[in-house]
Amino acid sequence: MTMTAIIDPRTASAASITVRGLNKTYGEGDLAVHAVRDIDLDIKAGEVVLVMGPSGSGKTTLLLMLGAMLRPTSGAVTIDGIDLAAAPERLLPKLRARHLGFVFQDFNLLGALNAVENVEIACNLAGVVGNAAHERSRALLERVGLGQRLRFRPDQLSGGEKQRVSVARALANDPAVILADEPTANLDSSHGHDIARLLRHLATDDGRSVVIVSHDERLKEIADRVLWLEDGGFRELSNMATDPICGMSVTADPNTTLHAHRDGQTWWFCSTACRNEFTSRDPEAAADVPHETSGEPDPPHDERTAR
Amino acid sequence: MPRRVPLARRQLLQDRRRAVLAVAGVAAALVLVLVLNGVFAGATRQVTAYIDTSPADVFVAQAGVRTMHMSITALPDDTVARVRSVDGVAWAEPLRYTTGVVTKGDRSIITYVFGYDTQAGVAGPRELSSGSAPGAGEAVVDESAASELAIGVGDTVEILGTPLRVSGLSVNGTNIVNTTVFLDTEQFTALRGPGTNYVLAGARAGVGADELASRIAAAVPDATVQTRAAFSDQESRIVRDMATDIMSIMTIIGFLIALAVVALTLFTSTLAKLRDFGVVKALGGTNPRLAKDVVAQAIWTIALAAATAFVLSLGLGAALAALTPNIRIVIEPVSVARTAAGALVIGLIAAAIPLRRVVRIDPASVFRSAQ
Repeated sequence: MTMTAIIDPRTASAASITVRGLNKTYGEGDLAVHAVRDIDLDIKAGEVVLVMGPSGSGKTTLLLMLGAMLRPTSGAVTIDGIDLAAAPERLLPKLRARHLGFVFQDFNLLGALNAVENVEIACNLAGVVGNAAHERSRALLERVGLGQRLRFRPDQLSGGEKQRVSVARALANDPAVILADEPTANLDSSHGHDIARLLRHLATDDGRSVVIVSHDERLKEIADRVLWLEDGGFRELSNMATDPICGMSVTADPNTTLHAHRDGQTWWFCSTACRNEFTSRDPEAAADVPHETSGEPDPPHDERTAR
Repeated sequence: MPRRVPLARRQLLQDRRRAVLAVAGVAAALVLVLVLNGVFAGATRQVTAYIDTSPADVFVAQAGVRTMHMSITALPDDTVARVRSVDGVAWAEPLRYTTGVVTKGDRSIITYVFGYDTQAGVAGPRELSSGSAPGAGEAVVDESAASELAIGVGDTVEILGTPLRVSGLSVNGTNIVNTTVFLDTEQFTALRGPGTNYVLAGARAGVGADELASRIAAAVPDATVQTRAAFSDQESRIVRDMATDIMSIMTIIGFLIALAVVALTLFTSTLAKLRDFGVVKALGGTNPRLAKDVVAQAIWTIALAAATAFVLSLGLGAALAALTPNIRIVIEPVSVARTAAGALVIGLIAAAIPLRRVVRIDPASVFRSAQ
């Protein structure tokens, strides 16, 4: 079941992000690609929302529209009471500088600047300069546990430390909303967990809204809500399941998704190869095949990705 | 003004090797411009050294003659007396002048030949480094030329086709074009016949050079009368006019080299940092903010290069002066200012190309993984 409205009526009035009828279409006519379709969404202050979905599902497009970096084809994105979609182009940089915090997959620290300057430049862009900017940057780095690394350049920091600088930078303008794009993708398990907890604290302690776009299942632990984006629209997460072989999230729909039964439970698969591997481990498992399109089995998921 | 993160400076110095090469490249080009201008200024000063150091306030020449270089002048014999009779003239002395060659063996140098009254001395050399004023059959040769000809006091040189004994050595009389030799009036007359080429006049106390020139011009209407400053300016102008084309070409080449170096450096460093600029844009940096960074990098490069070039030019000037006394490099403040201003314009032009790339960066691009 496709859901276009992910609105909690209890929190809609207190939402710090409000999205209404959001659409983004690339191209025109027969070549048109609908990256995001008619999305409604409310995210309240202090809430962590995790947006998941397969590659090409529209996650990044959605994040860019929330981040005032991409104009929607139609619809409204309201943050701090400002409709980003209606704001003039020349005001968008200022809106980003003053109202939004960004955490990137690749950290995106400026190599020429040390840790404190990387944060300070975001303060400067937000209009805070001089000692005030320096002191704020130092305090933020101390908050994320990098008080001893203020003068270190990015190439002198570990991946986890870089991402913590990136988080401190995202806080430089004291934003109501933090947008994080795959914040743990380039981190090992331990550092990924640290960053996840840090983002959770920013929501719980500071009352910020945190939107995370990620494939990382571990982030579900810190999310208040997990939204599944597929083909440009949200799907109800209760209908989602995890492939026991490759770990990929799949729609738990007996009409469209490969599945098998074992010990009275239904298992869902992303491909014939995963299902075959599953059934080969336990020949007792009964496989249902809703839509076989070819006699040739699909390659295993990992192999498909590698291609 | 409250401090902001100096992103431009940090980016410029992030890759120190690239920064040093860029500054060195631009500095080399600016040294070329500064030294060329320095050589020109030095040559001009050397060419006008006799006029500039003369005690005369006013120079009188044949009507229409305003220079020494490339000029022939002849004045009526009574001109000196007419000038002396002008109210305000303290003294007036004739100067004989021609151009020729001073030769020793198989070496020769083009020279101005001056004939003057050695008793009065005012039209002669300002300073002798050795020896004495010339007498009959003698000449004073400039010490630089003497060094070039490998002669000294007491040696014989050929001037205007006549062997003359070197009685003394003068200073500051040789330039990149020619040298100067001094004979006494009688010796000059023996070689070239009687006559007067210029008249030098000094003003009485309380009479200005301009005033004196006006009075003499009124009294000797068939001559051209100029103050020392005007005469010197005319002399340097003729040298300037002769060298302007080559100087302009070389200066343009120097600036083009500087432009190429700054443009190439800025372009490559900006390309290498496009993602950084994209990040700043994503964080809320505007195009004017980024443009300021690129332009600031250009200005920093130019400023460092200009300072380096200035110091190098002074050093080169001193070294050249020691090695080749005939070539004098004078780095004038106006030349430094002009070169720096030109370099600044070059820097701004060079910044335009990478600026276009920076302005076009899509901030959304930083959301795509660089790996």
